[in-house]
Amino acid sequence: MSFFHIHSHPGRAAGLILSWFLFAAGIVCYFYVAQARHRDNPDDRVMPTVTQMVRAFQDAGLKPAEDQEVQEGAESQPLITRIRASMLWKDTMATTRRFLISIALLFPAVVLGLHMAMFPYIGALFLRFFQFFDKIVALSLLPIIFIAFGIDELSKIMLIVIGVTPTIILDTFNLSKGVPREQIVKAFTLGAGDFAITYRIIFKQILPRILNSIRLNLKAIMLFLFAGEMIASNDGLAYRIALLRRHMGMDTIIPYVLWVALLLFLVDLGMNTLNRKLHPWFQET
Amino acid sequence: MGSASIQIHDVHVDYPVEGRGMRRILSGIDLKIEKGEFVSIVGQTGCGKSTLLRLILGEETPTRGRVLVDGWERHQPDLTCGYVPQRYSLFPDKTVLDNVTFGLEVTEFGPFSLLHSARRKRMRQFREEALRYLRHTGLQEADARKYPHQLSGGMQQRVAIAQALIMKPPVLLMDEAFSALDPGTRAGMQRLIKELWRESGTTIVFVTHHTREAVCLATRIVALAEDSAGELGSSVALDLSVPHLDFDSDEEAIRCLIREVESATLPRAGSARARTTPAYN
Repeated sequence: MSFFHIHSHPGRAAGLILSWFLFAAGIVCYFYVAQARHRDNPDDRVMPTVTQMVRAFQDAGLKPAEDQEVQEGAESQPLITRIRASMLWKDTMATTRRFLISIALLFPAVVLGLHMAMFPYIGALFLRFFQFFDKIVALSLLPIIFIAFGIDELSKIMLIVIGVTPTIILDTFNLSKGVPREQIVKAFTLGAGDFAITYRIIFKQILPRILNSIRLNLKAIMLFLFAGEMIASNDGLAYRIALLRRHMGMDTIIPYVLWVALLLFLVDLGMNTLNRKLHPWFQET
Repeated sequence: MGSASIQIHDVHVDYPVEGRGMRRILSGIDLKIEKGEFVSIVGQTGCGKSTLLRLILGEETPTRGRVLVDGWERHQPDLTCGYVPQRYSLFPDKTVLDNVTFGLEVTEFGPFSLLHSARRKRMRQFREEALRYLRHTGLQEADARKYPHQLSGGMQQRVAIAQALIMKPPVLLMDEAFSALDPGTRAGMQRLIKELWRESGTTIVFVTHHTREAVCLATRIVALAEDSAGELGSSVALDLSVPHLDFDSDEEAIRCLIREVESATLPRAGSARARTTPAYN
């Protein structure tokens, strides 16, 4: 066994242990330090214990937020009603709505990138512009966006659009250009026209790669969304994290961060599974 | 299946070379390919064989001169010429059957075929026809459901040929179509294409750097040779009429012809026009 031999591969058990080792080490270290801090100061709020975090997460998942009105007899309502009225549910729904709108807005970006690659006049019109636009740091535009679009939903969506669409457009452009020229020539000789080649040959071939590209950009999408929510929002997961920061509510912030990571992981897993199911030819190529 | 003639008149092709102006690739190519001929284009790497094929396809435009297929100058590839390249011939996202029916489907229904009400019935007919072509090129019905990456190189090229032939093109252009195949598969494919040519009577232009393949398949060989009288690296076409040999022909006759063709592709001084070697007429 050697870490620095190219041909040295870990066995099944060793691979499993190595892949979980850092998770386990991180968790153990955290709780060791947390326990030590709590022995010194039982009111420590920087590193909450497991019990504190579980209790806080339960509260977030079953109770309305402190800034929302609590209905009478809420405790006796059915579990599903309590969950749907809870702070966690409402924040998750608000962020999910914005996230889905942003994902939907990526579709026109894909179509534009595809057309830029396939039709030289469209490419000539847009390519240089988006190459420049891609270099603008989206977060530096935040003040301009809030001034231009206000602080409601539109500004948060625009931040994601400005931050992510140029990357997706240029990625789609490059992927489309990467399809061998022989495929286009062949399709022409089989009687296909410009749009049949664009949508039935090129788009279908690059679609799994575009989905992968979107998957890789999920974190960037969430980053821009969180920036928008933290600065100007009344709901959403990032708004809640920013709000709890003011009260040093680490017992809720840490579960919230893990919850966001879990959601993103599930979206990534879902997209990957969907990609595999929709494009069996791609995974095996 | 009909066939078409190809006329190439005084074609010159120049490519821009970064920082060095233009470089001439083809120099004064004059060539006439009659209907139903099987013409092989041979020559050394980089001599412009594939460029000549792309000119016939309409994928490229000559710097000077004209290329006519069936009497028409064309500005982009179309149904007149079928095309079988060395690689990337099949659409990887489609099964073998969908690859072969693609041309029929898109010709009949356009880019968005799902919107047509008569699609289902016609697709059944297309599939039956595609299966017939696949069987004819030596493939099994079970292969029809596979994706291209699940097939061997030889099988992929069989599908590519079926995909091109199902459209009944008057001209079939093959660009090093068998170059990536192992010798055994290659021999099988050579026999198959010759058999299909005899049956269909389509005009075939076959680009290869394999002289034996050219000699045994074609009724005529066009050798692209360096034009030592012209610009360095540019090619002229030497039009060699050859006796109709086959893979079963006398080995000595095949070797003699190979020597003749290979000597023709060596650099030579002289005219930038196509010449006919009369030895085998």
